[in-house]
Amino acid sequence: MNKTEKERIVEEEQKDASPVIIQLGIFAAVLFVSNILSVIMPKAFPVPVPVWGLIILYVLLTTHVVKLHQVEKLSGFLIGIIGVFFVPSGIQMYKSLDLIKEDGITLIIAIIASTIILLITVTFTARLFISISKKIRNRRA
Amino acid sequence: MQFINNTFFGIFVSVAVYLIGLYLFNRFNNFFLFQPLFVGMILGIFVLWILEQTMGVSSTVIYDAFWHGGKDNFIGANLLFWFLGPATISFAVPLYKRNDIVKDYWVEILLSLIVGLFISLVIIYLMCRALNLSDSEIASLLPQSATTAIALPLSTSIGGIPAITAMTVILNSVIVLAIGDQLVKWLKLDTDPIGIGLGLGTSGHTIGSAKAVKLGSIEGAMASIAVIVVGIVTNIVVPLFARLIGLK
Repeated sequence: MNKTEKERIVEEEQKDASPVIIQLGIFAAVLFVSNILSVIMPKAFPVPVPVWGLIILYVLLTTHVVKLHQVEKLSGFLIGIIGVFFVPSGIQMYKSLDLIKEDGITLIIAIIASTIILLITVTFTARLFISISKKIRNRRA
Repeated sequence: MQFINNTFFGIFVSVAVYLIGLYLFNRFNNFFLFQPLFVGMILGIFVLWILEQTMGVSSTVIYDAFWHGGKDNFIGANLLFWFLGPATISFAVPLYKRNDIVKDYWVEILLSLIVGLFISLVIIYLMCRALNLSDSEIASLLPQSATTAIALPLSTSIGGIPAITAMTVILNSVIVLAIGDQLVKWLKLDTDPIGIGLGLGTSGHTIGSAKAVKLGSIEGAMASIAVIVVGIVTNIVVPLFARLIGLK
């Protein structure tokens, strides 16, 4: 990204946000296309609708087809209250209570541990790779 | 019975328990165990359980009422759940805003996610063996880094139990939201925002990404890219790994 690109983002951020109905329209269009793409993907290689949507909206933003001020407000709003949207999924585990009863505490421990393993391993690996590449870049510079 | 066969029963319960959680979280100085999502989830399950006991109906009846307003309705708490889709595509915005980082480091980002995921799989597998979990339980835990829509069919295909995988993916988010950033700080891994973002996005999915967005713009962008890449990489790496360790 060159300097004008950075300036562009700053400039975009200062523009007035598009009306909510336009923002909703863009989201609806992206989700509609994502749904089609998701259906035509082979079953053995599923790419979920939201992931397609994320990729499409990102490409649209990067190619400046969609401008930041046309989606920023709605996306900020949705990300801000995503916790509420997730509550039903959490409560869904009510269905799995029998599962926990059967396999007991070991499974829960394994789940908690594996979450932590994923978090630590990926964070650590990325930190290592980035620091190595920074060193190489510095030496070259 | 009539009053829970109501479109707004599930929505009301979900929002109400979340607000109670939010109140407790603020009241107790943001104590991590009082994360609104965590408290809301426990309270919600408790509410449904109490209803089941007092009304003397099966858990399926209660669950259907909660999820889609009972047998005559289609909408309930699933309306809120639906919004996870639009909320997930929203992460394109924080990602786009840090396109500079993506452009500079995309090779390192991809490599870290692939290598990090593979190492995690090995460690998770060894831990499961040490805990004496069955093959089907191990197969259920391996796909957890992907989102539900990818993880469930994957789990089935390597001989796992989808219900356990679904529970695991949900718990991932809750755990990362509750302790993710503290854990990274305790282990002094918080020197690199790219690493934190990728870690939170991989382990906590979209909820972890929402947390990352709050930490900073680079963290948020990296978590968003992790959600995309890890889903796809998991799809390729996990079946290979499962074959390697001799699951199905």
